[in-house]
Amino acid sequence: MSSGPLRDPANRVSPKARGLWLLEALIGFVLLIGGSILVGGWVGGSGWSWVPDWFAARPWALPVAVGVLTTPFLVAEPFVRYRVHRWELSGDVLYARQGFLTREWVFVPVSRIQTVDKEQGWLERMLGLATLEVRTASHAGSSTIKGLDYLVAAGLAEGLAQRAEQLRDDAT
Amino acid sequence: MTGPTQPPQPDDPSPDDRPPPSDGPPSFEAPAVDPSPVGSPPGGGGWDPGTLPAPAPVTSRRLSPKVLLIDPVRMLPSLLLPLAGVLVVGGFSGRSYLWAALGLVGTVVFAVIRWLTFTYDFAGDRLEIKRSLISRSVRTIPLERVRGVDVSTPPMHRLLGLAVLKIDTGASGGDGEATLDGVTLGEAERLRPILLRRARAAGVEVEDVTPEVAPSPGQGADADVIVAVPRTWLLYGPLSGAYLLTPFALAGGAIGLAFQWGDEFGLGRDAALTAGEWLWERPSLLVAAAVLLVVAMPFVGGVMYAVFNWNFRLNRRDGYLVAERGLINRRSVSLESRRVRGYEIVEGLAERWAGVARAWAIVTGLGDSETRGQLLPVVPRHVALSVTGDAIGPYEAEVRPHPPIARNRRLFRAIAPWLVLAAVAAALIWATGSPLWWVLLVLSLLLAAVGVPLGIDRYHSLGHGYDGVRVTVRSGSLRRAQAVVERRAVVGWRLRQTWFQRRAGVLTMITGVGAGKGGYSAIDVSEAQATAFPAEVTPEWLAPFLKT
Repeated sequence: MSSGPLRDPANRVSPKARGLWLLEALIGFVLLIGGSILVGGWVGGSGWSWVPDWFAARPWALPVAVGVLTTPFLVAEPFVRYRVHRWELSGDVLYARQGFLTREWVFVPVSRIQTVDKEQGWLERMLGLATLEVRTASHAGSSTIKGLDYLVAAGLAEGLAQRAEQLRDDAT
Repeated sequence: MTGPTQPPQPDDPSPDDRPPPSDGPPSFEAPAVDPSPVGSPPGGGGWDPGTLPAPAPVTSRRLSPKVLLIDPVRMLPSLLLPLAGVLVVGGFSGRSYLWAALGLVGTVVFAVIRWLTFTYDFAGDRLEIKRSLISRSVRTIPLERVRGVDVSTPPMHRLLGLAVLKIDTGASGGDGEATLDGVTLGEAERLRPILLRRARAAGVEVEDVTPEVAPSPGQGADADVIVAVPRTWLLYGPLSGAYLLTPFALAGGAIGLAFQWGDEFGLGRDAALTAGEWLWERPSLLVAAAVLLVVAMPFVGGVMYAVFNWNFRLNRRDGYLVAERGLINRRSVSLESRRVRGYEIVEGLAERWAGVARAWAIVTGLGDSETRGQLLPVVPRHVALSVTGDAIGPYEAEVRPHPPIARNRRLFRAIAPWLVLAAVAAALIWATGSPLWWVLLVLSLLLAAVGVPLGIDRYHSLGHGYDGVRVTVRSGSLRRAQAVVERRAVVGWRLRQTWFQRRAGVLTMITGVGAGKGGYSAIDVSEAQATAFPAEVTPEWLAPFLKT
């Protein structure tokens, strides 16, 4: 929906977020390859009748195939995400866009915010990043902004919490 | 407050340290509690004490003693097998009779002590529930937190004129409600207005009821019947598909019970296996049983439905919507009108064919909303529309269709999986030549054919709309659901686009609502709709982000 009437949110996340996504994708990649090596070895060495001979002879084919299929995603994900993930706070509405293959646009008016959290996983701490979680009474109206610079996230969380208190609207 | 002795663990098998029943029960004489009903200053943005009836005199109350007749009976099934076991193992000797008797006495003593140590009272503007059977606990429920009261009368309670009162406090988790199991019906009727009136008065807005009306015990003079479902409409029940599987559940339960009891009485699995083999050798009997179960489906399902929804009435009372239903277990659920944000009208395929529908309320902070929120059982569609329109508010605008590409996507989803299965079956036929795969091939092709009308119908179900007050979203074919939610309940928007949707130029538009399911999805709206609709409903939220 690039050509729609919606404009892009103004702010990108921290450039260091690319490193975060790459590290996370690498961890997933290593687990996936490790798992497929185990499965390939197990199935190839099992001697089951339905296993084709060419596969039994080359149990490494499975992890190689998995690697070839997933590597493009692994490489592309951080850059695509960095292009997609953006956020903006204006007119007392938080507007955030995120996603890789599936994209999401979220609009959360500050008056409906119930809690504002900022979180740091160990990877994020290493990179000086933080995740902002904005919750309303509905999961569909809640937003998670990942990969913000820690100071930006802290300032935004503080500002949102204060403003939400001023605007508190309890229709829900 | 408690007596000197701590009652023993109820399931302690040793009879020696069990106190005799006469052992001093903890004393629970009325504690002196400040009788003034109101703690907050008037006019402080809270509720006005002047308009409230004074709460009942503050005394600790116990549940009705009649509940003592229910407790042992309720424990009987769980006690019966161990008792029988003791008797069987002990060889019906005097000693085993003694143990069994002790077990029985223990149960009764336990019930009495539990009854004696469970009290509740109103202290100021709080309900306090005290329990001191094993460990002492005081549960304090501020009355303004009460979101609903659910009074039900299971069969035993009904015989004795008792009721189970559940107080929904909107807290999440298992602690979301408090239960008074076994108050008299009169007491339940006395408590309900106190609990609900406070909750309502605590709210910001007070609707359509004069607060001076005294809560009349009994039926409540200010009850206003919105709809009383006539009994002939119970015949629509089986159309909803509810309880249709009951015959199978009953049969399964019976078989399970037979196994359990058979084991207990030493019949063992061999006998069961023999019986199974005997049956297996008589397939006609098995087929007859299966046919019988299938034929019984609509009848048993209909009977179950009628038992649960007997004399369904929806009343408006004191700012609450009160739904009463049930033949054996008469249940009455109060939903606070102030917290009702909309409703959902649900129609299955058979129901749409017959022109009937069901309705649920969309309420903020309602636990167990699937059973509690029910506004209407299966009733004619026009009745469902007029009742929800009358009780909550009508939706008065057309439902806008989604773009034609959505139809293609519905069709693809309804047909493609079966075509893939058919292709697999064809490949297997080619590979193995086994005639068995022909069955799979024909079946999957049939299902793919059925997918054509199903997909088209799904597309026709899709829709969303806004009439200036309420937002509506509709989807589904086998179970079509249309949600109607007030604009003020919308807490945000979420647009979601998968890779395939991006290729097709459509999105899923999720209306975030702080009630009910939390979000209602309009599937496959066009990109223009996905921006225009939120901008139409909440222009001030979207305006900063639209291209100028």
